[in-house]
Amino acid sequence: MFDFSIVTNWIHQWLLSLMPQGWAIFTECVAVGIGIILLYALLAIILIYMERKVCAAFQCRLGPNRVGPWGCIQVICDVLKMLTKEIFTPKGVDKKLYNLAPYMILLASFLTFACLPISKGLEVLDFNVGVFFLLAASSIGVVGILLAGWSSNNKFSIIGAMRSGAQIISYELSAGMAILTMVVLSGTMQISEIVGMQTNGWLIFTGHIPAFVAFIIYLIAGNAECNRGPFDLPEAESELTAGYHTEYSGMGFGFFYLAEYLNLFIVAAIAATVFLGGWMPLHIPGLDGFNTIMDYIPGFIWYFGKAFFVVFLLMWMRWSFPRLRIDQILSLEWKYLVPISMINLLVMALVVTFGWHF
Amino acid sequence: MMQETLYIAPAELHNKMKQLKEVEHMDYLRSLTGMDWGVATPADEESSSTTSDCAPSTLVGLGVVYHLESTTTGKRICVKTSTTDREHPHLPTVTDLWIGAELPEREVYDFFGIIFTGHPDMRRLFLREDWVGFPLRKDNNPEEENPLRMNNEETIDTTYIYKEKEDGSLVRKERKLFESDEYVINIGPQHPATHGVLRFRASLVGEVINKIDVHCGYIHRGIEKMNESLTYPQTLALTDRLDYLSAMQSRHALCMCIEQAMGVEVSDRVKVIRTIMDELQRIDSHILFFSCLCQDMGATTAFLYGFRDREKILDILEETCGGRLIINYNTIGGVQADLHPNFVKRVKELIPYLRKNIQEYHAIFTGNIIAQSRLKGTGVLSRHDAIAYGATGGTGRASGWACDVRKRIPYAAYDRVDFKEVIYTEGDCFARYMVRLDEIEQSLCIIEQLIDNIPEGNIQEKMKPIIRLPEGSWYTAVESSRGEFGVYLESRGDKTPYRLHYRSTGLPLVAVVDSLTRGAKIADLIAIGGTLDYIVPDIDR
Amino acid sequence: MKNKNNYFGILFQGLSSLGVGLKTTMKEFFTKKITEQYPENRNELQMFDRFRGALTMPHNADNEHHCIACGLCQNACPNGSIRVVSEMVETEDGKKKKQLLRYEYNLGSCMFCQLCTNACPHDAIQFSNEFESAVFDRNKLIRTLNNPGSKVATKKS
Repeated sequence: MFDFSIVTNWIHQWLLSLMPQGWAIFTECVAVGIGIILLYALLAIILIYMERKVCAAFQCRLGPNRVGPWGCIQVICDVLKMLTKEIFTPKGVDKKLYNLAPYMILLASFLTFACLPISKGLEVLDFNVGVFFLLAASSIGVVGILLAGWSSNNKFSIIGAMRSGAQIISYELSAGMAILTMVVLSGTMQISEIVGMQTNGWLIFTGHIPAFVAFIIYLIAGNAECNRGPFDLPEAESELTAGYHTEYSGMGFGFFYLAEYLNLFIVAAIAATVFLGGWMPLHIPGLDGFNTIMDYIPGFIWYFGKAFFVVFLLMWMRWSFPRLRIDQILSLEWKYLVPISMINLLVMALVVTFGWHF
Repeated sequence: MMQETLYIAPAELHNKMKQLKEVEHMDYLRSLTGMDWGVATPADEESSSTTSDCAPSTLVGLGVVYHLESTTTGKRICVKTSTTDREHPHLPTVTDLWIGAELPEREVYDFFGIIFTGHPDMRRLFLREDWVGFPLRKDNNPEEENPLRMNNEETIDTTYIYKEKEDGSLVRKERKLFESDEYVINIGPQHPATHGVLRFRASLVGEVINKIDVHCGYIHRGIEKMNESLTYPQTLALTDRLDYLSAMQSRHALCMCIEQAMGVEVSDRVKVIRTIMDELQRIDSHILFFSCLCQDMGATTAFLYGFRDREKILDILEETCGGRLIINYNTIGGVQADLHPNFVKRVKELIPYLRKNIQEYHAIFTGNIIAQSRLKGTGVLSRHDAIAYGATGGTGRASGWACDVRKRIPYAAYDRVDFKEVIYTEGDCFARYMVRLDEIEQSLCIIEQLIDNIPEGNIQEKMKPIIRLPEGSWYTAVESSRGEFGVYLESRGDKTPYRLHYRSTGLPLVAVVDSLTRGAKIADLIAIGGTLDYIVPDIDR
Repeated sequence: MKNKNNYFGILFQGLSSLGVGLKTTMKEFFTKKITEQYPENRNELQMFDRFRGALTMPHNADNEHHCIACGLCQNACPNGSIRVVSEMVETEDGKKKKQLLRYEYNLGSCMFCQLCTNACPHDAIQFSNEFESAVFDRNKLIRTLNNPGSKVATKKS
C-alpha cells in the first residue's frame, strides 16, 4: 500500500529548503485548505449528478441527459445559473444572522470533511481524539440551520428550523452511540488508528452482530442528521415549501444545497472509515493471492468506492420511503434507536471483554 | 325519475326543513342552488304574501333550491323557496340542520346577495371582498362595476353573523376568525400540497393545527354565469374544465341531464361506451390520487410509478377521444366518435397490466410502516359527519356511508354490471386511501364485464341543429371520480339554460378539512388533504 | 409481556415492510426506463389520428377547399375563435352566392371542443395532428386557413 506521507514529507522538506519553518507550514496550510475546497466542490458536483441519475433510475426515468454527454455537465450549468441569480434580502430579516447562517453550515461540514482519512498518509486532521472532534464539529451545522430559520422572518422557515433542531440533536445521540460502539471495539479514538486496526478484516466483520447493528443504526441516524428523506421534514417540500432555506436565493441557497450533499458524503465516508475499513483493501484471511491483488488498488480508490457505496445505500433509502412525521421521528429515535444502541454498546463491551470478536 | 317538489315560504322554511330532517330523516343535503327567478311585479308580491306555497309558474324573486335525500329510506325531495325582496333579501340558514350547507350558502350569498340569517360565517366565498354587486342576479352586469383591480386583496379576520329582528330588519354581529396573537400561516394559494390554488389559513400551536379557514376562488372562472349565455352544446365544453380528473363523468352528467329534459333515450351502445369511459376515467383519477398522495408524503418514487401507469390510460382515451385531459367525448344524445378499432385490444392489455402494477403500489406504499403509521387513525371522519357535510365519493365510503350514485340511482349501464361498492368503516386517511385503491379493482371488473359485450347501435341520436329545452327544472347526478357530481338545470324554453348549477364534489370535502385537522399536525393536514382528494377547479367553478 | 411483544412486533414488521419497499425500488432500478426521448424521436413519434392539434382546412391538388362560407362554425364556436370573411359574388348563371375570402382562426383562444367541425355541413374543416404550435408572438396564433387564391371545390369533387 502506497503511503502518501512520503509525498507530503518530500513537499515539506522541499518547502523548508526554500523558506523558514513558519512560512513553510503556513504555505502548506493554505495549500491543504485550497485542496480541501477543491475536493469539496468536486465531490458536491459528483454527488448531485449521482443523486439525480440514481433517483431517476429508481423512478423509471433517465435523469439529466441534455447538457453534455449523458448530461454530465448539468450540475456545472446549474451552479452557473445559481451564481447569476439575484441575491436578495427579504424584508424584516435579521441581516447579520441571515448572512452568517450559510457559512456556519459550510464551516461545520468543512471541519468534518477535514477529518476524513482519504488514503494512507492523507489525513488532514488526525489526533488522538479524532472521533470526538468529528462528532463535535458536525454538530455545529445545526446552529446554522437554526440561525437561518430564525433570521429569515418567515413562519415556514422557523417551523423547518425547529424541526431540524429537534431532529439533529436527537439523532446525534444514536449516531454517536453507534460510533462509540466501534470505538469500544477498536480501542482508540484516533481515526488513522481505527483504520489501521482493519488491515486484516473490517470492523463490521470482526465485530459481527453488534457491529452490524451499529452500522444500521448509524446509517439511519446519519441519514436523519443530513436531513434527507425519509427524514427530510425540515425542508418537507409538500408541507413547508423549502423549510429553513425558503428565503435564500442564489449562492446563499447554493451553500445549503452544497452542504447538504457534502454532509451526505461525510456521513457515508465516516461509515466507510469506521465500519468498512477506510482506505484498507478487502482482505480475506487465507487467500494471499487475492489479498495481494487487492493491495494493488490504491487506497483512495478503495476509500471513495466504499463511501460512494454507502452514499448509494442512503439514496436507495431516500427514494424508497415516504416522509416521517415529527412525532414519529422523535419516537423512532427515543423509543427504538437509543435503547437499541445502548444495549448494543453493552453487548459490544461484553464481546470485547470476553474476546468473542474475530 | 320524478321527485316530489315542495315550495316553502321563507317564514316557515326553517321549521319545515327541521321537520323534513327529523321526521322524514332527510339527513343528506345533496345540493343547494341559488336562483334568481326574476324581478317580482306588484301582483306577484301580493300572491306570495298571501299563499304560503306558491306554484312553480309564479315563482319569482331570489331563492334557493334544496335537494334532499334520506340515507335510510332513499327518498328524495326537492325544496324551493324564494323571497321577493331584492334590496335586503334574506332567508333562514339551514346550517344548523346540515352543516354541509355552510359553504354553499356562502356561495349563494356571493352570487345572489341572499343573506342567510343565523349563518355563522356570512362572507363571500369565491369573489374578492371588494367585489361590487352579485353577478348571478339577472339584472347585474358584473363587468360594468368591476374593472380589473390591480391592488391586492386584503385578508380580513372578521366575519358577520346576521340575525332577523321582530320587525323583519337585520342586525349584524361581528365575529373574529383569528385573534391577533394567534400564529397564523398561509398554506396556499401557491403551495405544493394544495393541488391547485386553494388557500388555507391555519392557526398553529407549535406543530399542531388549532383552526383552519378555507379561502376559495383563486381559480373561479364563473362557469355558471358563462353557461347562461352559451347554447347547450357549448356548455358541454366547460364541464371538462371543472374537475379535470372526472371530465368524462361531469360531461356525462350534463349530457344525461339535457337528454332527460329533451326526452331523448340514447342507444345501448352509447350507454355501454359511456360506462366504460367513466370507469377508465375513474381509474385514471384514482391512480393520480395515489401518485399525488405519495408525492405529498414524500415518496416521490411511488409518484412516478403512478404516472407511468396513468399514461397507458391516457393513451387509450386519446386514441378514441382525441384528448388526454380535456377529453371532449360525450355529446348530447351520444358520443363524439365511435370507439377506435384498437380500443378493445388496448383495454384488454391494460387490465392485467394494471392489476400487476397495483401490487407494486401496495408493496412500495400501502404496506410501508411509515405510510401506515401516518395514515392510520389520522383525520377520522365519522359516518354522521360525512352525511351532514355531504362528503360523498371515496371519502364518504371510507366512513361507512354507502353513497355511490352508481348503486343508489343506477344510470347508463351500471344496472347490468356486477360490482362491489367498496366500503370501509374506519373513516381515517388509510381507509380513504384503501377505498380508492380497491375501487380501481372494481372499475377494472366493470370494464372487464362490458368490454366484450359492447352492443351495436347508433353512437349519436339525431339532434336538431339548435337545441331548445322545454320549460322546467332537472337534477341529474353521476358518481364522478370523487363523489356525487350533480347538475341542476333550469330552462325557460330558450336555446341557452336559464340556470345551470353544478354540485361540486370538492366543496363538501374542503368543508370537512377544518374539523378533521383540529388537533392534528401540519404533516397530517397534507395527508388529510391528499386523501380527501379534492380538485380545486371543481370547487371554484 | 404483551407490550414487549408489541414493541418487537412493530419493529420487525416495520423493518420487513421497509425491506419490501427497498426490493421494489431496486427491481425498478434495473427495468427499462420509460422516458420518451423527444425531440430525438420526432421521426418515429406518431400522434393518434384523432388528436386535436389545430384547426385546418384541407385543400385538394387544385387548391380547392369545401368551405361555402355559411358561418355555422363561427356561430357554434363558444369562444369566437373563428371569423369567416365572405363576399357576395354573382355566378355565371346570375345567382348571388357567398364566397369565402378569408377564414381566420385563432389558435390561441381555441378550446378544441369540436363544435365547429360538428357544425360544418361540408366537412371543410378538420383538426390536424400538429402539436408543435409554440410561437414567439401571440399574433402568429391567428391563422388564415384558406390558401391564397384558393376557391371552393365544385360539387362533384
